[in-house]
Amino acid sequence: MKNKSQSFWLSLFFAVSVLPVVAGFVYALLYSFGLAGVYEIGFTLKNWAAILSSPEIINSFLFSFYIAVVSISIALFVALWFVINYGAHFDKGILSYVIYFPLSIPAIVAAFFIIQLLSKSGLISRIFFNLNLIDNINSFPDLVNDNLGIGIILAHTLLAIPFFIIFLLGLYHSQNLENLKQLSFTLGADKKQTTKRVLLPILLNKVYPTIILYFIFVLSSYEIPLLLGQQYPQMVSVFAVRKLQRFDLADIPQAYVIISVYVLIVIVSLFILFRKRKLEYDFDN
Amino acid sequence: MLLECKNISKAFKSENVLNNLSFYLEEHKTLSILGKSGCGKTTLLKIISGIIQTDNGDIYLRGNRINDIPVNKRNIVYLYQEPLLFPHLNVFENIAFSLRLKKIDDQLVRTKTDEMIEHLELTEQKVKMPHQLSGGQKQRAAFGRALIINPVLLLLDEPFGNLDSSTRESMQNFYSKIANEYKITSIFVTHDLKEAIIMGDKIGLMEKGKLTIFNYVDDFINHPDTGVSKEIDFWKKLRN
Amino acid sequence: MTLITKKLIKSLGIFLILFPFLFLLGLSFSTNWRFPSILPLEITPDNWLGLFSFSGNLFESFILSIVISVSVGLLSTFTGFLAGKYISETIIREKIIFLSYLPYTLSPVLYAASIYYYFVYFNLTGNIIGVIVGQILITFPFSINLFTGYWNSSIKNLENLVLTLGGTKLQSYLKVLIPISKRMLLIVFFQTFIISWFEYGLTTIIGVGKIQTLTIRVYQFINEANYYYAALSSCLLIIPPAFLLWFNKKYVFRKII
Repeated sequence: MKNKSQSFWLSLFFAVSVLPVVAGFVYALLYSFGLAGVYEIGFTLKNWAAILSSPEIINSFLFSFYIAVVSISIALFVALWFVINYGAHFDKGILSYVIYFPLSIPAIVAAFFIIQLLSKSGLISRIFFNLNLIDNINSFPDLVNDNLGIGIILAHTLLAIPFFIIFLLGLYHSQNLENLKQLSFTLGADKKQTTKRVLLPILLNKVYPTIILYFIFVLSSYEIPLLLGQQYPQMVSVFAVRKLQRFDLADIPQAYVIISVYVLIVIVSLFILFRKRKLEYDFDN
Repeated sequence: MLLECKNISKAFKSENVLNNLSFYLEEHKTLSILGKSGCGKTTLLKIISGIIQTDNGDIYLRGNRINDIPVNKRNIVYLYQEPLLFPHLNVFENIAFSLRLKKIDDQLVRTKTDEMIEHLELTEQKVKMPHQLSGGQKQRAAFGRALIINPVLLLLDEPFGNLDSSTRESMQNFYSKIANEYKITSIFVTHDLKEAIIMGDKIGLMEKGKLTIFNYVDDFINHPDTGVSKEIDFWKKLRN
Repeated sequence: MTLITKKLIKSLGIFLILFPFLFLLGLSFSTNWRFPSILPLEITPDNWLGLFSFSGNLFESFILSIVISVSVGLLSTFTGFLAGKYISETIIREKIIFLSYLPYTLSPVLYAASIYYYFVYFNLTGNIIGVIVGQILITFPFSINLFTGYWNSSIKNLENLVLTLGGTKLQSYLKVLIPISKRMLLIVFFQTFIISWFEYGLTTIIGVGKIQTLTIRVYQFINEANYYYAALSSCLLIIPPAFLLWFNKKYVFRKII
């Protein structure tokens, strides 16, 4: 009876969580080799050759990595600084409530807000104009759809900072860091040493798996670069979907090459993450 | 004969936890089983209560084979080392729990539960939540919850293991008193030598999945494997 | 640091966090806010009133989103609760947890593109059921991931205890397991609800533009440069999760990725 239910739920898990991923990956591979889809022409390596020989895909992945690294570094830096300095005073008062609010902002709204804030006709540009810092709308710099991805990075950073602050605050309390901090002081460490030798190692060690997952999350993001990105280079998701939606049918198998590569990268990164350590679960932080 | 176990065996992944084990227990008696952790005593209790199934052998309760009777129909209550009170219910509702399951009339539930609470000397704790109780109070509430349905057999898995020594002693007295009043038949598992002797009408020694039963305390004391003679020697030497 | 500067910094922090909300709310109440004016030229409830009259069926989108997200949240929470119990007992538990990370770390839009073919085959594109199924492919493993870690021996001991006390399996769920897991069930529900509520990429692909949830409306309005309605629908998107957060900040938050 117990074994029956167990196999039922296990099968359901595989049917809903594993089978679609595998089936999707197989389909993407078949399509990319010309063995499936509207562009079915029999086995060919030409889609892979076309994609891998052009700088587009490499640049797209590099650009995505760059965005993820920069956004997460900034967000993590700010959040760590904040929690290490103010973590102790943060479990009461209005700020402890308000800090949760940004979690109610979806990516697409964050992107929209950044447009309204940073575009040439955006709020900051208007303030500059009224302060006579610029004399017309076009002298405001490109901060949205720009080459450096400033808009994308800013949107991701805005979403990531509160997320990491809340996450680290949870750790700060669950790992009893306030007491460890005082202990370290009584042992003769100064503030800098305490941060470097006690607080940072504990926090980073615990937050590391989440950083990797958040990294993949930013790397894969779609709505934000869709609205705030430029024509070239594009982040991976946007790049692949654009290729899927082109009129030229020959572009579709190439989109599936990108998807195959992307899925492989995610599987490999998760695998590395899990081989190194088991993820921990604490539910009450 | 209340309980009879014949040739019980259980293996987890090729490791024999219980090895062809047989014994019996008369009504209103307590069998205490002494054993180190990992000797299979918990597995034995879980098999008797029906939480897990035996690989081999038969269990008889008052002469009826109960191997295939589901756990909730056996009327055998298994008590864990931790009191495991339901965290979302207060003392009263924890004790009344199984009566509520049977959809007994509310007035009757109240009278019976209040009576039990008084017996347990928990009247002041009646509406407290489990986290507000001391270790001994929790354990008493857990007893009450079990006793209120008049179980045929009570299985106690190191029930006082988490208590400090003075609470432990008062709980041992309390349990002996209650067991007498309610005419309980029970199996009492412990790793404490003294407790095994105090609690049991007869004593079992469990080692590596094998159970040896001593019908008389003297036999138990004189057997070399129980460690009792060693203990006595120790105190004697100290005295000299 | 003096008390006043401390207070100033704190107020500044609160203002910075609340600014996007105030800004979007302000934008949703205006119809004329052009460069270079810093504040809207007029404040009018017209956009909001239009929500309940015509307004391109924005209210319908709101209801549609609620229906989809509540269904997705409820289904994945309760199936995950039961599945997590049995899966936590298997010897391949660690492997299951690893596998459960995959679907929701993948980019939803690319995941949807890779399984689009099968959705067409099962006639699940362009309809609500298809979008719900598609989103559950992401939220169910997420829920399993949380619940597999949640079920532990002490909860299972409580279940066995109910059985030895004479309760049935159903009674053990209704009287003990569900009540003591209320907090966890709420956390998982809020989280899966929010994943679904925020979902854009998968919904565009599986819904092929026919299932117009709020996130899709926001994108359309931005594309049409109709910023006032984009702000209005953004507000509609933010209000339900903000509402939940306000009442249950502890419950809602748990790795929203």
